[in-house]
Amino acid sequence: MKLNTKKRLQRPVYAMGMGGGGGGGMGGACFIYDNNLQANNTLVTPDVVFQRSIDMNIPLTMDDGRTVNMWGFSDGGGGGMGGATFPSAAMRVTQGQIVHSILSVNMMWAHTIHHHGIEPGWESDGVGHLTWDVRGTSFTYQWRPMHAGTYFYHCHTNTVLHAEMGMYGALIVDPPEGPGTLYENGPTYDVEAFWVVDEIDSSWHTLPWSAGTCGADVGLNDLNPDYFVITGVDGSGSSAFGAAAISPVVQVGQKLLARYICAGYHPQRIDFGGLTGTVYMSDGRPLPNPVQATELRAHSAERYDVIFAPTEPGEYIISTDIIHWVSGEVLGTTHAKVTVVA
Amino acid sequence: MKRRDFLKAGTAGLAGAITGSTGMLTWSPRARAATITKTLYITDGFINQIDGTSVYFRGYSNSSGTLDVPGESMIVQEGDTVEITLVNTLATEHNFVIDGMADSGVVGAFSSRTFSFTAGNPGTYMFYDNANGVYNQLLGLHGGFAVMPQNSSNELYPGSRTFVQQQFWLFHDIDPAWNDRLRQGLTPNTAYVPRYFTLNGLGGRPPGAPGNADPNVNSMIDPRSALHGSIGDRTLVRILNAGLAAQSVHVHGNHMEWLTENGQIRPDVWEKDCLYLDGNRGILDMIYPYDVPPDSWPPATHGEYPMHLHSEMSQTAAGGYYLFGAITDIFFE
Ligand SMILES: [Cu+2]
Ligand SMILES: [Cu+2]
Repeated sequence: MKLNTKKRLQRPVYAMGMGGGGGGGMGGACFIYDNNLQANNTLVTPDVVFQRSIDMNIPLTMDDGRTVNMWGFSDGGGGGMGGATFPSAAMRVTQGQIVHSILSVNMMWAHTIHHHGIEPGWESDGVGHLTWDVRGTSFTYQWRPMHAGTYFYHCHTNTVLHAEMGMYGALIVDPPEGPGTLYENGPTYDVEAFWVVDEIDSSWHTLPWSAGTCGADVGLNDLNPDYFVITGVDGSGSSAFGAAAISPVVQVGQKLLARYICAGYHPQRIDFGGLTGTVYMSDGRPLPNPVQATELRAHSAERYDVIFAPTEPGEYIISTDIIHWVSGEVLGTTHAKVTVVA
Repeated sequence: MKRRDFLKAGTAGLAGAITGSTGMLTWSPRARAATITKTLYITDGFINQIDGTSVYFRGYSNSSGTLDVPGESMIVQEGDTVEITLVNTLATEHNFVIDGMADSGVVGAFSSRTFSFTAGNPGTYMFYDNANGVYNQLLGLHGGFAVMPQNSSNELYPGSRTFVQQQFWLFHDIDPAWNDRLRQGLTPNTAYVPRYFTLNGLGGRPPGAPGNADPNVNSMIDPRSALHGSIGDRTLVRILNAGLAAQSVHVHGNHMEWLTENGQIRPDVWEKDCLYLDGNRGILDMIYPYDVPPDSWPPATHGEYPMHLHSEMSQTAAGGYYLFGAITDIFFE
């Protein structure tokens, strides 16, 4: 295989600046770099392929009966619409595999996939303004994850809006040992939970995909959430207690791995409800010395992998406060439950 | 390896006194302590934002005729005597403090004062003005300050992981309604809602935007902010937050080696792709290792990646304008 080590950045010609969409208009799109798209000339035969397309109409029903529209990635290709969930379908791979993520987008909007915490070549990084946005075509991102752990993938076009709208999914890299081991030669686990905590400002959820890009003041500097979700479920009450992937049942003697992802934009504080966990990893890297914790604080896109070995049967409520980035005020709280049985 | 910023004043370091003028008051290892002198002019003025709004600021400036927000960063050596002359050109009282190290006392309207202090423990600090609570800091009276260990050119503190180059990322957020009240001598009377977000005083200007090619305008290529290196060019970044919003500092391409948090050496070095930066003078130190991006295939040695805050509201300006906030580029050269 020829290594591309001498490759220089080709700065693309940027065709789209202000204008095009009519500066300031709600229907316009500015600083979108779909015209720069180049074929990915690093591609080799993959071990794993994920197909993703776009769904801009995912109704999410909240505990108060209201429905909020979410956006996401459908599991499947072809640039079609529909079928996505919130969060989007997870990607799960094994360390060392060569992976292709093929994103298909129709002409109506632009998006990318950025595999957060994965560090690929720049052409596969999915950052619109440094490479290109994808619109009216498909693009293949290539990556070879070398560190097991917890990641997520999300859109990196008008990111402030698109990630808030829900365009993300879990990305898990298993070590060579496979699921059940956290990282190579690392600790094992029997049960797995996903605590992906996010806040939603429903006033943002009627905006068009390019909102604000031409300079209109659409309030994207000020996120005032009115809903709080954990792994796609309204977490304000007990709605997440029935979902096994969020609220697991663990036997005494078993080990529970919680993969916690701070998926919002405000800081969070997660409280383990009386359980003490061992934090083995953060952001896809083992800690040199694992630390014991009954709570953690985290900010946007941080991940923590915590293993619990509970000894006392009971119900433990995992609560996560979402904390205003300026005032420190608790804006809302999500809840999950760990049930420990004898 | 780019040592240009690092050793700019290299030979001057052996002299007994170093005077910063318009260049970066910089540093190179010395066998003995020196006296560092610096004059800072407290000035004010307006800075135009991308949406045309003109926002009032105050700064620690290098001359009476400029407005420098933030003040030029300073790097000195442990044990140095730092002699600062504050020239207050404004009608309001101001000061210069570094927590645990320096306090000028109040400098009255239209007056000046020279004071000195000894550079203390190696590390990263903010100099700022607390003469009127947090308000002068928010108006722009802040800057980065670093103390290097004695006789060491490549450590943050004695025995730390080493680096070959260093720079500051000083973040700020701005609520123009507050700045305007303060300009009029009034106390802000609205909730603080930041509307502009800067890195070393600038916002992003993406390709196609006015100022995209101008390093004095575009934080993406401002040499104070953008990282430039080849594989192995380990870069210490001193991260400070003069704004009030807690931020998540996120890099692409490599994980960061997280060395300190708010002046405390971390018990272990964690490798992180996001770091929690407290609002209102949070401080972090990290090394960007410039390793081959580990998940690239074929292995990449060249490329261009972003640093951006993942608290994504900070990537906007005036309620929209995604990419015009606090962001820069990381170049693998
Ligand atoms: Cu998108
Ligand atoms: Cu991300």
